[in-house]
Amino acid sequence: MSAAPPLPPRPVPDQDTLPFWDGVAERMLIVPRCASCGQWIWQPRPVCYRCRATNPVWTQVSGNGRVASWTVLHPPVLPVWADRLPLVVLLVELDEGIRMVGQLVDDEGTLLQTDGTAEGLAMGARVALRWRKEADITLPAWTLVGD
Amino acid sequence: MSRKAVVVGLHGLPFSKNIGMTERHSGALAILGALKDAGLTVADVDGMCRYVWQPTTEMEMARVIGVQNLRFFGAQDYGGGAGAPTMALASMAIELGLAEVVVVWRSRNRSSGGRPWVGQIMAEGQDQFERPHGLVRPADGMALHTRVWMHKYGWKREDFGNVAITQRRHAQANPMAMMRKDLTMEEYLSSRWVAEPLCLFDNCLETDGALAMVLTSEERARDLDVTPVYVRGYALGSGPQGYAMTFYYGDELGVTPASYVAPELWRNTGLKPDDIDVVQFYDAFTPQVLLSYHEYGFCDEGDAPAYIASGEAPPYNTSGGGLSEAYVHGFNLLVEGVRQVRGTSTTQVESVNHCLVTSGAVVPTGAIVFSKEPA
Ligand SMILES: [Zn+2]
Repeated sequence: MSAAPPLPPRPVPDQDTLPFWDGVAERMLIVPRCASCGQWIWQPRPVCYRCRATNPVWTQVSGNGRVASWTVLHPPVLPVWADRLPLVVLLVELDEGIRMVGQLVDDEGTLLQTDGTAEGLAMGARVALRWRKEADITLPAWTLVGD
Repeated sequence: MSRKAVVVGLHGLPFSKNIGMTERHSGALAILGALKDAGLTVADVDGMCRYVWQPTTEMEMARVIGVQNLRFFGAQDYGGGAGAPTMALASMAIELGLAEVVVVWRSRNRSSGGRPWVGQIMAEGQDQFERPHGLVRPADGMALHTRVWMHKYGWKREDFGNVAITQRRHAQANPMAMMRKDLTMEEYLSSRWVAEPLCLFDNCLETDGALAMVLTSEERARDLDVTPVYVRGYALGSGPQGYAMTFYYGDELGVTPASYVAPELWRNTGLKPDDIDVVQFYDAFTPQVLLSYHEYGFCDEGDAPAYIASGEAPPYNTSGGGLSEAYVHGFNLLVEGVRQVRGTSTTQVESVNHCLVTSGAVVPTGAIVFSKEPA
């Protein structure tokens, strides 16, 4: 018998974040947006931090954006990623102005084993949304696209 | 404030990779040592403060060492941000007359106890949007900030290397320090990556350590055979959209809560950066030292490498700090701050009147100034 595969970190939604994960399951990136003042609210919370309205509406975003920062992971990491290093974790600034974290993937959404050099990873580089599978978990991820 | 808080006792157990006892045990020994240093006993203790991350609560520790009654207790949150805020809490208790002798401590088996992130598989709260993507270790979160600072300020890896090497030199003078081998720029630059752009020597140590301090009032200290170190002032700050480590969601990337602490600190102390003789900047990672010089107003934004090279900057992290002495969530920086004012550092700066000590820069945090004289 082979050992059980190592577990990936598992998102644990609560009532304030569940719609996001429901959206992800349908491969839609949705973010709370204030119905009163239009503020995008990330990370999700039940109140608009700009105008204090309590009616944010889950709204789809394109997922297009730019690289705001990144890191390249090297050992020691969680066992689930140990044989897939180096890998790139991106901080993406979406065109809507909010920033999200996700891994650098290829056009099909497969995690790239890279430090980003070959792909031309750079600050401000354009990225587009893809979907990555980690065990049974679906996660937003980003791929580099030309300007 | 008519009542003034002073530090009258401090003690630390030898740092190690395996201290061979529980954090309860090492914490108790550190506290008993600090009381002895102050010429006080457990019978005098009526207040206790700790980090929220301290696994032994004030209540449990009071039971362990046999405190008759705690008139004041409390804890401060946010990991390495808690150091100065915990000292602030203890100082406030004394200044307000809520307690007369307050013990503060941090004991942590961060080496023998393993890496806390290894078992963190279930990602709740803010973690659900970060950890599944690989932001797991503190270094991962810091690496994203660091690349922003490098891009914004033109900082080079050599600038971080200089911090690591300077602190190693300080550690070499400190018999308590864990890392005392020479460190060269070549070794720094060729060391393995952890989370690019951070390499091994940009990261703090993983240490078992236990340290404690005793605070009391200026009046009470007059009866003691110690030279009191005054808590000149302190401040806390969160900034907007405060997250621990992953401060990415506010308006301006690269600004940390320290920039909110700083103006409060200078107002509360009546001092300015020019008055500070030596600093202990929170240094879980090398870039935090460079950042702290500008966020606390010592130099223009992003100019720390040139400012340090000019020789104008007050010396930093004189015990070797988290990078080379020990990593105990910044408590050793607080202890070193008191030592500098006492005049007992192993890298003693001449005639120190004021030492600034800061806590974790990318978490809700605080800072404190220790002084030779009251305000
Ligand atoms: Zn609003």
